[in-house]
Amino acid sequence: MHPALAIAAKDVRQRIRDRSAIVLGIVAPLVIAALMSLAFRGAETIHLTVGVVNSDHGAAAAGLLSALRSPGLKDLVTVVPEPSEGSASAAVHAGRAGAAIIIPSGFTNSVSRSRPLPLTTLTNVNNTVAAQITSSIAQSFVAQVNADRLSVATASAAGEPSGSAAAALDKAHLSLPIRTVQSALGAKRLKTISYYGPSMAIFFLLFTISFTARSFFVERDQGNIERMLAAPLRPRSVLLGKVLSAFVFGIVSLSIIAAVTTFAFGADWGNPLAAGLLSLAMVLAVTATTALVIGVAHTQRQAEGISSFAVFGLALLGGNFVFVSVTPPIMQRLALLTPNGWALRGYTDLATTGGGLAIVGLPIAAILVYTLVVATAASVLAPRALTP
Amino acid sequence: MATVEAVATKGPVLEVSGITRRFGDRLAVDDVSFSIPPGEIYGLLGPNGAGKTTTIKMICGLLQADSGTVRVAGHQAGTLAAKAVVGYVPQDVALYPDLTGRENLQFLGRLFGLSGGVLDERVDEALELSDLADRAGEHLSSYSGGMQRRLNIAAGLLNHPVLLVLDEPTVGVDPQSRHAILERVQSFGQLGMAVVYTTHYMEEAERVCDRVGIIDQGRLVAEGTRRELVDRLGERDRIDLGASGDIERWAEACRALDGVDGAAVADHQVQLLVHEGRKLLPAVLEAAERTGVQVSSVDVVEPDLEAVFLHLTGTALRE
Repeated sequence: MHPALAIAAKDVRQRIRDRSAIVLGIVAPLVIAALMSLAFRGAETIHLTVGVVNSDHGAAAAGLLSALRSPGLKDLVTVVPEPSEGSASAAVHAGRAGAAIIIPSGFTNSVSRSRPLPLTTLTNVNNTVAAQITSSIAQSFVAQVNADRLSVATASAAGEPSGSAAAALDKAHLSLPIRTVQSALGAKRLKTISYYGPSMAIFFLLFTISFTARSFFVERDQGNIERMLAAPLRPRSVLLGKVLSAFVFGIVSLSIIAAVTTFAFGADWGNPLAAGLLSLAMVLAVTATTALVIGVAHTQRQAEGISSFAVFGLALLGGNFVFVSVTPPIMQRLALLTPNGWALRGYTDLATTGGGLAIVGLPIAAILVYTLVVATAASVLAPRALTP
Repeated sequence: MATVEAVATKGPVLEVSGITRRFGDRLAVDDVSFSIPPGEIYGLLGPNGAGKTTTIKMICGLLQADSGTVRVAGHQAGTLAAKAVVGYVPQDVALYPDLTGRENLQFLGRLFGLSGGVLDERVDEALELSDLADRAGEHLSSYSGGMQRRLNIAAGLLNHPVLLVLDEPTVGVDPQSRHAILERVQSFGQLGMAVVYTTHYMEEAERVCDRVGIIDQGRLVAEGTRRELVDRLGERDRIDLGASGDIERWAEACRALDGVDGAAVADHQVQLLVHEGRKLLPAVLEAAERTGVQVSSVDVVEPDLEAVFLHLTGTALRE
């Protein structure tokens, strides 16, 4: 047996016996992924009730109601008529409606005048998602009405026969832009567990960096590394053995989490071969990062500090805690500097498009570039850790 | 019982020639040379920080010498060929508490390329040697300190080394375990193994070692058999005086006395190296009274390695 394999086998055996490693590598990611999935379950199938107070009953109001009940918004919005602003406010306050829209009396007639009446939306601070969607629908409607008003005004100025404002609006075929409806990028909607399963698996995989680097320095302080180096093996075999154990543990951990989240929680990791290769690349990146931490640190404490920084830095930047798509653009760009950011992008694409290897080609290439850069730095710095 | 692998070494198993090693400005080992034939137990005797551990790390290939050479069974130290025939027993127990005794030995054996039946044989042999065969399946953490020490030594024999290097193997060990360890080390020499044994315990060096090298401040100041080293003292005696008070001042006063060759303070004792000790005692006690020191014990000791160390370095071994 190659000495590196003997060292890796010994480390894996120790890690299996260490319950904290099992908890950190398998139990914790499963529990957290399940909890995250439970907590954000509503996010994947948003549906809200919108109260509408129609004090206008004109063509413009009918256009808005028609738009709210259109097939495009059918899955998102249920319209409930409210007799008055007071009852609408009470419904929003009580949570019976996510938000409400007040169409004021004379709204249709005011559209053709120079000072149209405003639409009012009633929202609840405790339901920001409903508030944002309702406001967005109302703003889109108003924007289109304004555009139609401009069209009518332009046509009148050009000498077109003018009819009533309502007729002009009828001709305009009021409808809401399709873009107001949230939709997944791919063909399939991303289930929360399909994001948080891989996300938490990777987050806890990152702890392998901390675990392995710490164990290296503990062994060095206790004379075990020196004893290994007294045997007929090349010093690099010791490092190789240590990171190999991290690799094996990472693969096993990811595989178990993928299997359990798939079969127990219904997560979709996508094409197994593509997901497997993506996972392999990610574990390689973690392994290289582990070697770099060992190379950079001088003591156990330093290793703990540096690896904690690496773990939480990568997790925060890569989007392991929140959907990267809802973060500011700068964060979305920063995520692409991290291997976990690319891995999550790959898993998400696999789950939403149903694609295969071609989908994860770019993420895998990006992760391997990261791995190559980090492994090169580690190969220069890490042998220093073996010098007494 | 462990046996020594056949190695074509007509000459010395270990040849150390003029090795020097610095750590920054500090000269840890300064031009040290010695050699060991097969079957000899060679003691490196010196106080803590004398350069013993640095020397053996260079022998085991764990450190590079700045200058000089080390050859083990004809191979340059640090090469895979040299490491394959050296058994290294570090000062601390370098084993894994969460592995069983057997698993620890199997792991270390694999690092020496052992496998299959040979590995099993060697592991069983080491367990027998350390009297731990019946507890082989228990985690090391359940072993007593002495048991761990015994296994630590046995692990150094897995590769059937021609050169066994033991770095202060009895530090922190109870008297019973120490006795057992010293007996085993003596048996290694009888098996034909060359042994380097570092210690700062004079009694151990006297009991176990065929030859002793005295090392101080990185320099090998003398070497030879116990008899040869003690003969260097001539007619000198060593007097150990237990006392309380300003014993440094008393030692200084003693150094000024005719017939005192050396005086050192260690462990609340003053060690004197003197000619005709019994005749000199009244003057020594008078100096104690003069310096206000209360003398609690007086022991005139037969010439030994401690006295040799005092004679050669002017300091006590356990200073």
